[in-house]
Amino acid sequence: MTPRPLTPARYVASLVAWVALWLPVAAVAVVVGGRLWTWGSRAQMADVLWLRLEWVATASAVGASLALAGLAMQALLRNPLAEPYILGVSGGAGLAYVLGSLFLSVAAAPLLAMAGAMATVVLVYAIARRRGRLQPYTLLLAGVILNAFYAAGIMLVTAVVRPEQRGEIAVWMMGNIGAFGPQWPLIGVVAALAAGAGVLFAFLAKGFNLVAVGEDTAGALGVRVHRLRAVTFVAASLLAGASVALAGPIGFVGLICPHVLRMLLGPDHRRLVPAALFFGATFLVLADLAACFWEGATNRAVPVGVLTAMCGGPFFIYLLRTRWRKRMEVR
Amino acid sequence: MARRRHPALAAALAGAILAAAVTAGCDDGPAPPGAGGDASAAPPQPLRILSLAPNLTEILFAMGLGDSIVGRSTYCTHPPEAAAVPAVGDTMHLDLDRIIRAEPTLALLVTKRTETVRRLEGLGIRVVAVQADRMAQLRETIRTLGAETGRPRAAAGLLDRIDADLAAVRRRVAGLPRPRTLFAFPMTVGSSRIMVAGRGTFVDDLLAAAGAENAYPDRADWPTVSPAQVVAMRPEVVIINAATAGPADRKDAIRRAWQELASVPAVRDGRVHILEAKYLTIPGPRVGQAARALAETIHPELATSRAAGLPARRATRATPRAANVSSPHGCHWRLVRQCSANRHALAGKQPVAPRAPDVAEASP
Repeated sequence: MTPRPLTPARYVASLVAWVALWLPVAAVAVVVGGRLWTWGSRAQMADVLWLRLEWVATASAVGASLALAGLAMQALLRNPLAEPYILGVSGGAGLAYVLGSLFLSVAAAPLLAMAGAMATVVLVYAIARRRGRLQPYTLLLAGVILNAFYAAGIMLVTAVVRPEQRGEIAVWMMGNIGAFGPQWPLIGVVAALAAGAGVLFAFLAKGFNLVAVGEDTAGALGVRVHRLRAVTFVAASLLAGASVALAGPIGFVGLICPHVLRMLLGPDHRRLVPAALFFGATFLVLADLAACFWEGATNRAVPVGVLTAMCGGPFFIYLLRTRWRKRMEVR
Repeated sequence: MARRRHPALAAALAGAILAAAVTAGCDDGPAPPGAGGDASAAPPQPLRILSLAPNLTEILFAMGLGDSIVGRSTYCTHPPEAAAVPAVGDTMHLDLDRIIRAEPTLALLVTKRTETVRRLEGLGIRVVAVQADRMAQLRETIRTLGAETGRPRAAAGLLDRIDADLAAVRRRVAGLPRPRTLFAFPMTVGSSRIMVAGRGTFVDDLLAAAGAENAYPDRADWPTVSPAQVVAMRPEVVIINAATAGPADRKDAIRRAWQELASVPAVRDGRVHILEAKYLTIPGPRVGQAARALAETIHPELATSRAAGLPARRATRATPRAANVSSPHGCHWRLVRQCSANRHALAGKQPVAPRAPDVAEASP
């Protein structure tokens, strides 16, 4: 397939197409997932509609954030396995959230999660910087190690709290859409971050493309690789941290979505950035809908994070065995 | 050689040990005042009990066996005297070192884990594992404890007292409407679901005694439900027991979460109650007290009818304080706190509390 040149008109058309994919799916997810036809009174219907709207908005914001963060991380680190959580932010946000909600304040827990994510970003950045430059592999390793450390911290908390709270922490760590309680302010923050990052990455997309070809080439062509890396790294971590605060750590979305899109659209990040935003949102809304159906059929709730991880693992192996070596090289 | 040189000392020591054993025997001997008949059934060696569940510890204290408990679980915090007993972990994680040092002869626990039972039995301790998930099982448990400790009469007395407590609550709610009531635990970490009492739990029995019908329709052991399911159940009263410690603003968070469900009758009518009383879910001697607290929460008219002079037992001691907190949305929320005086109501060493004065004191 020979990619047609990307004119502004085509860019806008693709944006409209993505919105046209996501919006109907979200609307259907609200109506179908709420099983609105089964409710007797109008007041009940309004309640369920509102709850579903909140959950679908959560899924959209979180899905978009994770997919964007994954796309940017993979491009910048030139590593197809990079995903938003690998840099330790999920662990940092998770530990801060668990500690905050158990001991400090329910309302402040999401803010603490963001703070935890930011602190981790600073820490990983400080570890991975050598002579003013960000080393990709040190960055990945620092993230992995910090994640392990935070996981141990969460396990410590889990071990010392009361048995009934242990279950809650375990369920939260699986990744859930929709907490019991109004989340609109936080949904707004995450959605705004996702939209902002979408715009930012759209402007940086050319740089991503050149870095993917090679750092030296990109540098020779005038891309300030280190600054690009730092900006992307901070933005992606913020996205991941905020989505952890909203929905807990939902795995594999940041890994699967960018790869699927590369299979469909090719390696051009100018196309991939808006695609990741809307595809990620659509993907997680559908996953949440599947979780809803599952619950309706079996009367057992399954956290959406479990679902994405269960689909993501096999899909990833499929990618690894068939497509990757030929076409899916990130560089 | 050393022994021969000090025969007098050895004799004195032996005498002291013997005396200690005899006095210990007297102290621990299961002979509550006024229950001499039990003494003949007492086991020959002093009873040293390891009590590994909060309700069992409460039952033992209520039967006057508090002095015989040599080890308790970390979660046994009632009555306050229990704090003086060394904690030896819980059924999931036993501190075997402390257990061995406590030298128990009888271990009582609520568990289905055979591994825990076997491990304790391996230490040469007699192990009795009981179930207390239902009111009927609580009765059975009390009888078992009475038999195991050689105090069947104290157990029977405790059972009578519980029955009388429950009967009193049932009498008060007789004839009142039975609202569909949901009893829930709040979730601390941002979860999309809450844990509610299913049919067939001990709390389900309590709700029935307190004059309510469980809003959760199915037989289930503490299922977790989503807000949409709560909307479908349409509970007329919601009771949230926020007894475990949490951050200060947790109640506000719970309140805000429920205000979203405007179609739920309990929310509409301002009948979502946040209680903070651990004993509501402990199947022990305080079940009558728990049923009364629930009844007065579910039927607020009971509190006023009592003021009007209807007979209410132990009214002065065991009434949970109720505070109305008005919410920004105009509903009102009743916070019922465990009255600190309650803690002593059933504690202490009288196996059968004198009851006549109570009745006299509260009757008009």
